[in-house]
Order: sequence, then C-alpha cells, then structure tokens
Amino acid sequence: MDRNQIRKWFKEPAKMANKYSLHAIYFCTGCGIIEVPPVITSRWDAERFGVIPVATPRQANLFLITGYVSVKTLKAIIRTYEQMYEPKFTVGFGSCPVNGGMYWDSYNTIKHLDKYIPIDGWIAGCMPRPEAIFVAVTHLWTLIDKEMANGYVRYRENYNLYRRNQEMALGKLEWPPLYSPDGNREEDTRE
Amino acid sequence: MRVVEIVLSPLLALVVGVFFLGLARKIMARIHWRYGPPLIQPVIDMIRLFYQKSVSHGRMFDLGIIISLTGSIVVILFLPFGSICPLSNSGGLLVILYIMLIAPLGIALSGGQGANPNISIAISRKFILSLGYEVPFLLVLLAVMTHYKTISIIDVVSAQQSAHWSLLSLALFLSGLSYFLVLPAMLGIRPFDMASAPQEISSGPMVEYGGKYLALAMIEHAFVLFINIALFVNLFLGGASNPVTFFVKMLVVFVLGLFVHAAFPRFRVEQAVKYLWKWPTLLAFVGLIIAVVARS
Repeated sequence: MDRNQIRKWFKEPAKMANKYSLHAIYFCTGCGIIEVPPVITSRWDAERFGVIPVATPRQANLFLITGYVSVKTLKAIIRTYEQMYEPKFTVGFGSCPVNGGMYWDSYNTIKHLDKYIPIDGWIAGCMPRPEAIFVAVTHLWTLIDKEMANGYVRYRENYNLYRRNQEMALGKLEWPPLYSPDGNREEDTRE
Repeated sequence: MRVVEIVLSPLLALVVGVFFLGLARKIMARIHWRYGPPLIQPVIDMIRLFYQKSVSHGRMFDLGIIISLTGSIVVILFLPFGSICPLSNSGGLLVILYIMLIAPLGIALSGGQGANPNISIAISRKFILSLGYEVPFLLVLLAVMTHYKTISIIDVVSAQQSAHWSLLSLALFLSGLSYFLVLPAMLGIRPFDMASAPQEISSGPMVEYGGKYLALAMIEHAFVLFINIALFVNLFLGGASNPVTFFVKMLVVFVLGLFVHAAFPRFRVEQAVKYLWKWPTLLAFVGLIIAVVARS
C-alpha cells in the first residue's frame, strides 16, 4: 500500500475497502473457469490484490461470469447475483457473455448477458489469459474510484426492465421480484 | 485500575487475534511460494464488510452472534495475558471451562435461524468434533489441577514461574503434548476444519453470514484463536510476567499450528473423532495417572 493512500483511507474508507477486498464467488458458469485456479494459486497469486474466492454469494462482492451462459445457467446466475449484498460488482470473462462468441447462433445460450444482469466490466478473448483477470481487477479499481462501477445501482433503478428481459429468456420466474416498485429490497423478509 | 484492565484486555485480544488472522494468510502464502496479501488484509475485509448492506434472517440470527461474542469476551477477562489479569483471581479453570461452551453455542443458535442445510451439517460436525476434543482436554485440565492442587490459573502460572514450565516437568509432559495435539481441533484449523469447509459445505456456519454478520464472525474467530492459544501458554509454557513475552510465546505456538494447517488435508469427521479419542486421549490419560502418582 502506498503511503499517499492513507489520506484517502480516512476520507473514503468504504470505497477503499471495497477496492482492496474483492471476494469472488466460486461459481463455474462455463469453460472460462479453467483460467481461475492458476490465478488464485501459486502461479499468479490473486491474493496480493485482495482477491480471494469465497464459497457463498452472501460473503462475495465480485461475480466473475466465466464463459458461455446457457439458459439454465442464466437462472442460477440471476439467483446468485440477487443473493449478493450491495455494493457488488460483476465482470464478464471471455467473448461469450459479451456477444455470444462462438455460440452466437446456439439455441441454448443467451447472447448479451448485460440484458439480464448489469455488468461492470468485460474481459474479451477466447480464452483470455490469466493476466487479463489482473488487468480487469486494476481497471475495476479505477472504476470504483470514479464511482462508475455502479451496476447494482442500475439494477435497482431499472429492475422492471431487467426482470422483463429475464422473463423473456426464462419464461415465468418462480421467485418474487427482488425490489418492490418503490425501490425497497423485498427479498429475505419472507421465511 | 481493574476497570482499565477490563476494557483493555478484550481490545488487546482483538488486536492480537486479528494480527494472527493476517499472519496466517501471509505465512500460508509464503509456504505456497506466493507473495501473499498485506498483513492488514483482515482489517480491510472487516471495514468492507461493516460498510456492506446485509439482511437479517430473524431475531435469533442477530442475537446468536452477539451471545457468542459475549461468551468469548467473558472468557478473555478470566485469562491472564502476561501481567494483565482483570478477573483471574476469581473463578479459575472451572469457570473458563463452562463459559468456553457459550461461543460455539451462540454460533449454532444463530445458524439455526439461517435455515440453510449446510449450516445444520456444519453444526452437527462441530458438536461431534467437540465431543472428540473435550475428552482429552478435560483429562489434561484434571492433570494440571491435580498436579498444582489448585483451580486458579494465577496460581498455576506463579507456580511455574517459581520452578519451571509444566511442559518440561516430568509429571505434566504427556498432558502438554496431548493438549498440543488437540489444539488444531479446538482452533478449527486443518486437519480439523470440517465444520467450516468451504469446498464441501460452503464454509459451514458462515453460509448465510454477509456484511456485518460476517465481520462479527471474523472477530469471533480471532477471539477463539486468542483464547485457546493463551490457555495453552498459561497452563504449559509458564505464562509470562509481562505481555510482550506472553505474546511471543503465543506467536511461537500459533506458527507451529500453522505449519500443521499448511501441511495436512482435511479429516472426515469420523476419522477426526477416531484420532482424537485414540492418541491424545491415551496420552492425556497416562499423563493424568502420572500426575496423580507423582503427587501422592
């Protein structure tokens, strides 16, 4: 940590702590997850950057969507994303979440992930190298500094739009809306 | 003066415990030939978690974690930390034994309200494991109490400072060894981390914790580290006359435990109980007999 960051720590502790404590959830959405084990273990040590994998969405604040998203996985991705606590950041990893990639005319995958959940950053490539994850993390730091990594705010504000897109892809959703129309969080008050 | 110590000793325990959490991650990284996170990474995580939004799952979910923190803080008040010992004159080992049970119980109550199947599995594993390590632990404490003919920790520490460490005495060597063997189980580190296994049951009782709940659970974990190691140092490594020496002794015990943590894979729960009821219990039992015979 730089010495000139100490002033920033006192000024905006929440923002700085969000930057340096990105806990990524283990959720293997597609083939891109094969690049993640070298990233978190000895070869490329992501823990230097404060990035460690955690086991549940409740503890996480970084969601890596690694690789193609089939319709069935989309359902799990949405549920996982909605269970994470704010502030939360999502990064699409690989070409497939960006625009469908090599699966663009597949009957079973969705093409543009950001129609269904908000994405804060993309890593293009098929496959991206593990170093690309670090580029993404440092870029995410810049975005958090400038308050541009605001996907969760966009999700809250445009929830009806996202929900409509989700219902178009998945049919009738079996879970109630996350936000009521006046913007309050509804989830988890039910038992 | 005593009021100052009562306020000071939980804070000191918090600082030492959080430092141990950071040191554990750094040393594990160095053993893996990684650079590792900065030492203050747990503090950064805690700041982040306290600022994050979180959702309660019910009243017991909130209260359980607070009960468990309270239990830990009360135990810390009864433990001498070098010369700082706010309540150690009253109570003694028996009180510590009783209150130590509150901390896991609070986590279990809190997790029960979370209503996640992983939590139920984790709680059952934790209690089976504690059934495993309580037996040798009680035998060890009995041997110590028999040897020094007292239940007060202060007396045990001062008796060791006038003679020599009880780990090095003939009568209590086996008991000390047995305590060291069950220490990983009491700290919940590998090979005994089946109650909080992230890969099998999504980090166990912490599944539904996020935001400030997880931060409080981390603090509770730091307290558990502090309590178990401080008890070992007090009973077997002769305590200390000043906090710095005491801290150095704790550090040595903790780093030794970390090497075990880094080297071993995880036991299944029945393997753990089988191990705990075989070697540590045997050693503790023989140690108790030696202590009784040497005393009479």
